[in-house]
Amino acid sequence: MSSYWAVAWLFLATGTLFFLPLVPAMWEFYRKTDASALSVIQQHSGDVRYFADSFRTYLKGLDPTLQQCSTSGRPTMGTMPDGTDYLVLGSGDQAYQLPLGEKGQHCPMLIAAASDLLLPSDAKFSKDIYSRGRFLGGSNNSYRAILADQAAHLGENSSVTRWIHAVGEFSAAEGCKLYGRVSSENVIRLEGGCQFTRLNAPTIEIGDRPPANLPASAVSPGRSAWDLTTRILHEGDFEIRAGDTFQGSMVVRGKLHIGAGARVFGNVKSEKDAVLDSGARVEGSLISAKRLLIGRDCRIHGPVIAEREVIVASGTCLGTPESLTTVSAPQIKVEEGVIVFGTLWAREHGEVVTRS
Amino acid sequence: MIYVLYTIVAIICIYTARHYWFTLNRLFGFQRHPYIDIDTADWPPVTILVAAHNEEKVVANILSALMNVKYPVDKMLVVPVNDRSTDRTREIIDGFVEKFPGRIRPFHRTSGKGGKAAALKDAMELVETEVILIFDADYIPGAGLIRQLTAPFFDPEVGGVMGRVVPMNVGANLLTRLLDLERAGGYQVDQQARMNLRLVPQHGGTVAGVRRSALREIGGWNDNSLTEDTDLTYRLLLYGWKTVYQNRSECYEEVPETWQVRRKQIMRWAKGHNQALVTYGLHLTFGKHKATLRERIDGALLLGVYIMAPVTLVGWVLALAVFYKGIAPLHGIIALFSITAYAAIGNLAAFFEIAAAVKLDGNRKRICLLPFLVLGFTVSIFSVSHAAFAQLKDAITGAEFHWDKTERFRKVES
Repeated sequence: MSSYWAVAWLFLATGTLFFLPLVPAMWEFYRKTDASALSVIQQHSGDVRYFADSFRTYLKGLDPTLQQCSTSGRPTMGTMPDGTDYLVLGSGDQAYQLPLGEKGQHCPMLIAAASDLLLPSDAKFSKDIYSRGRFLGGSNNSYRAILADQAAHLGENSSVTRWIHAVGEFSAAEGCKLYGRVSSENVIRLEGGCQFTRLNAPTIEIGDRPPANLPASAVSPGRSAWDLTTRILHEGDFEIRAGDTFQGSMVVRGKLHIGAGARVFGNVKSEKDAVLDSGARVEGSLISAKRLLIGRDCRIHGPVIAEREVIVASGTCLGTPESLTTVSAPQIKVEEGVIVFGTLWAREHGEVVTRS
Repeated sequence: MIYVLYTIVAIICIYTARHYWFTLNRLFGFQRHPYIDIDTADWPPVTILVAAHNEEKVVANILSALMNVKYPVDKMLVVPVNDRSTDRTREIIDGFVEKFPGRIRPFHRTSGKGGKAAALKDAMELVETEVILIFDADYIPGAGLIRQLTAPFFDPEVGGVMGRVVPMNVGANLLTRLLDLERAGGYQVDQQARMNLRLVPQHGGTVAGVRRSALREIGGWNDNSLTEDTDLTYRLLLYGWKTVYQNRSECYEEVPETWQVRRKQIMRWAKGHNQALVTYGLHLTFGKHKATLRERIDGALLLGVYIMAPVTLVGWVLALAVFYKGIAPLHGIIALFSITAYAAIGNLAAFFEIAAAVKLDGNRKRICLLPFLVLGFTVSIFSVSHAAFAQLKDAITGAEFHWDKTERFRKVES
C-alpha cells in the first residue's frame, strides 16, 4: 500500500470515528422527535383535590343514570365511554345484594351510588367509588379511590391506595392505611394505628379526644410573625428556658430546646434536632433540618417542617381554625389527642401512635 | 511551563470531581425538597417585581399569567418595573393596571442608571412586604408558582429562593435545543445537588425571591454589579442567609435563538461572575463571616466557573507547546499524552451531568444531541474567554461596561 493510501485510510478512519456519534445526533436534529418544551403544568397548583375534581368531571356522563336509579331505586350496570364497567346503585344497601359480600371478593367495577352507600367487609374495590350521600365502608376492605358528597367512614383495617375526598366529615377506624391523598371540606378523624401520607381538611383530629383548649390567636392583634423582622443567628446549641418569652425570628445552627411553657413570637429554625417541652408555644413557623420533637399541649401557629421526622405528643394544636397550616416531614408520628388545622403531609410514612 | 500545565489540569480535575459528585448525588443521593409540601398556610403578603426594558413582545404574557396564579389576591401586588422602555411596554402595562385595579402598581422609570439592579433598586420604594419575588418579563409563571416560591420564606434562615427555569422555545433551532440541554444540566442536576448537599445554590435573579429584611441587611441591590443575582447570592451567604433552590418550582422562559444574542448573554454573565470573583473570592474563602466550610469551598468553586474558560484555553496552548518543545513531564510520554488530551478536551464531566439531567427529566431522544454540545461549549469557551480578556482591558483602561439587553424572539400578540 502506498503512503497516499495509508494517509487516506487514516483520514477516513479518523473521520468515521469522529462522525459516528453525530449520526444519531443528526437524526434527532432533523427528525425532532423530542423537541418540545419540558412539560410544566401551568394550571396545576398542587391542589389536594385535583384527582377528586377530575373524577367528578369524569362522572358527569353518569348524572342521568344516577337520577334514574335514584327515582327507581334499582341498580343499573353499564360501560363508560372509555370502556370502564360501572354499577350504579339506587339505594344504600344494594351493594350487599350484589356478589360482593363473599369474603375476599374482588369488585372490578366503578361503583356510583345515587344516595348513601354501604359496602360490606372483606372486599377489594379496584375501581373508583362515588357516593352522593354518606359512604360507609365495612372492615378489612381495600379501595382504590373514593369520592363522597357527604360524610365518609372507613371500617377498621381498610386501605385506600390513591385518594379519598369527602365533602362532609371523613373518619377512619383503627388500623386503616391511607396511602394517597385524603381530604375533607369539613373534618378528618383518624383513630389509633392509622397510617397516612397526605391529609388535608380545615380540622384534622387524631384520636377520639382532641385537645380541650383550642388556641386563640396569640400574636398581638394586627401583627404577624412577618412583622417581626429581627433575626438572631446562633452558632451551636441554644435553649429557651421554661416560661421565658422570646421575640423575633431565630436560627440555631445546633440543637434547639424550648422549655416548658416558653413562648416564641416569631419563626424558628434549628439546623439539628429541635425539642419542645410541654406547653411551649411558637407564634410562627417551626423548622428543623433534622427532627422535631413536640411535647404535650404545645401550640404552633405556623408551618411545622422537618427534613427527617416530626413527632407530636398528645394535647398539641398545630395551626388555628382561622389560620390553617402545614405539617410536613418524610416521617411523622402523631399521638392520639393531637389536632392539626390544615395539612398533615408525611412524604414517606405517617402514623397515629397510641398515647404514651 | 510544564508545572503551569500541571496546575491547570489539577484545577480541571477538581471541577471534574465536583461535576461527578453532583451528578451521582442527584442520581442516588437524598433529595432535599423541604418546603415544597407547604400547601396550606397563612400566606404572607408578597410583592412581585417584573423587570421590563423594552418588553412589548412578552410583558402582556407574564402579567396575564400573574393575574391567574393561585395566591390570595389581597396579599399579592405586582410591580412591573418598566425601565426606560421606548417601545409599547408602558402602554401595555397601563392597560393591565386599568383592567385589574389595585392588583398592579407600575413603576415607570424614565431616567437613571442602566441595568436591572439599578431599576430594581429604584423600585424598592414601592415595596412594603417582607417577601419579594422577581421575574424577568419573558417568563410565564404557572398557577402554583407564587406559593411555591413564597413557602421557603417561612424558614427564617432563608434569604433567597430560586426556582427552575425551563426553556419554552426548545424546538426553534439547534441553539435552542442545546440551551435546553444546558439548562437541564444546570438546574436539574447542578442546582439541586447543591441544595441536597447544603452548598451554595445560585440565585438566578428571575423565578426567584428575596427577603426584604435580608436585602436590607446586606445593603440592598448592588447597581454596580453586572449580574445582580450572583452578587446577591454571595452577599446573602456572607451574612448567614441561605439561598434555597426549588427544583419543582418550574417556570417557562425564552432562550436566545441566535448565536449572536447567546454570545452577548453569556459574555455578560461571565463578566458579572468574574466581577463577583474579584469582589468576594478571597473574603469568602479566607475571611471571617457566617458561611460554613463547605459553603466556602463550593462558593469559591462556583465563583471560578467562568474563569475556567480562559484557563482551559491557556491549558490547550501550553499542552501544544509542551508537546512540540519536547519537554519531558514527570512520568514520561504517556503522562504527557494524557495531560495533553485532558487539557485539550477539557472537562467532559459536564456531558455526564447533562445526560443525567435529561434522564431525570424523563426525556429520551434529545440525549442524542449530546455530541453537538461540543459546538455549544466551543462557542462558550471562546466567548467567555473573550469577555474575561475584555474585562481585564476595561479594568486597565477604565472603560465603563455597557449593559446589553437580551433580545426577545416571541411574536407580539395583536
